[in-house]
Amino acid sequence: MIHVAGLRVVLPPAAVILDAIDLTVRPGEFLVVLGRSGAGKTTLLRAINRLVEPTSGIVRVAGRSVTGASASELREARRRMGMIFQQFNLVRRARVIENVLAGRLGYVPSLPSVFGAFPRADRELAMECLAQVGLATMAERRADKLSGGEQQRVAIARALAQQPSVVLADEPTASLDPALTGSIMDILRRINVERGLTLLVSQHQLETALAYATRIVGLRRGRVCFDGAPGEVTPAVAEAIYGENG
Amino acid sequence: MKRAAWFVALVALGWSAWDTGADPVRFVRGLPWIFDILGRMLPPDLRVLPAALLGALKTVEIALLGTAVAAVLALPLGVISARNVAAPPLFYPARVVLNFFRSVDTLVYALIFVAAVGLGPFPGVLAVIAYTTTSLAKLYSEAVEGIDRGPVDAITATGATRLQVLRFGVLPQVLPLFLSYVLYRLETNIRAATVLGFVGAGGIGFYLQTYLRMIDYPAASTVLLVTVAMVMVVDALSSKLRERLV
Repeated sequence: MIHVAGLRVVLPPAAVILDAIDLTVRPGEFLVVLGRSGAGKTTLLRAINRLVEPTSGIVRVAGRSVTGASASELREARRRMGMIFQQFNLVRRARVIENVLAGRLGYVPSLPSVFGAFPRADRELAMECLAQVGLATMAERRADKLSGGEQQRVAIARALAQQPSVVLADEPTASLDPALTGSIMDILRRINVERGLTLLVSQHQLETALAYATRIVGLRRGRVCFDGAPGEVTPAVAEAIYGENG
Repeated sequence: MKRAAWFVALVALGWSAWDTGADPVRFVRGLPWIFDILGRMLPPDLRVLPAALLGALKTVEIALLGTAVAAVLALPLGVISARNVAAPPLFYPARVVLNFFRSVDTLVYALIFVAAVGLGPFPGVLAVIAYTTTSLAKLYSEAVEGIDRGPVDAITATGATRLQVLRFGVLPQVLPLFLSYVLYRLETNIRAATVLGFVGAGGIGFYLQTYLRMIDYPAASTVLLVTVAMVMVVDALSSKLRERLV
């Protein structure tokens, strides 16, 4: 579903953030990328939808080439990839339902949408997605009036509104109260199981990753240092991913 | 270094005082004449009040129409002058154009437009548009440069077009600021428009200049009082509105 080959990201002047990343995520996988902060997890996710421009390498998602895509091909590829951010990244002054509708922007005609005109089917879909994260009653509230956990659920609804085949989630629970981690991860697991969506989630917390992932990839200093099932993550593997030495 | 800067500043100030003939003694000697003129202004000649009020209305109209048109014209200009959203080939020329046209004052534009379209309030409106468009564009662009990158990333990641990203990721963040800048410009434009009449570009300034030339000080003082009242009323209304925005 996601195919990454020889991915390298160098940010000016000469910081090598990712190097020689080869990674194939199979359909329906719940893949968690583990690593210390600064290991390149965020950059990996952002390079897949080209919010960060890869320096070299290939990214293909759902059979479409992302690297080398023209502007309009890139938009088409992006609309099939939902993205969830550590800071939720909602439009804070907009209403909840407007934030979810933003997930339809890749599908609706550009000019009418700018004037707030969305097809009725898209509005209904947005409401359904909001209901799926349990926030149907909050539709008319301003986004910044919601708690952090609720805002992240709105962000998930926005991603679902894209009717994606892949969801990229960048540390989705890192800026939340630890008590809320489970509720957000549970929603992600549910969309993974019920909708068969392929999930690529970055996490720095080992226990959470092991509890939810069907596959773990360890990232260290911009390179893949482990790739296997959660059961294979031995203390030695954890040390290789997180350890201070080496 | 610091001492040299002080020295240069003092020399510059001293030179300026000498070259402009700044002379406290001359000022003190002139004081009685100021009181003489003020004395001759009293009591105000209320027979010219209707004319003054009509002139004030024209001035408000010039500022209102000019500011409103400029507020819209400045939108595209402000966006292409913002470093974080505009492509460099647009951004650099836009900045040069802004700084060039902004360095010319409304009154100078009025002189040009009076020569071009003739006497009356219309060249005044054009002058307000010319100056305000570029000065608002500059303020807009700074507001855009100060936005939170997160929502822009999130909207981009949905597969939205550039226009949609501006509308849904950028605009909601900057709209209250934009409106506040427009109101602030309206206040300063009212003040600027009071003197437009001096160069034949309509409004209350025309009456002030006429009565001063006719040495009809009581009539001029009525016009002055109306001007002060008009500016105060607009300032009060505008700052009330601005308080509610931010």
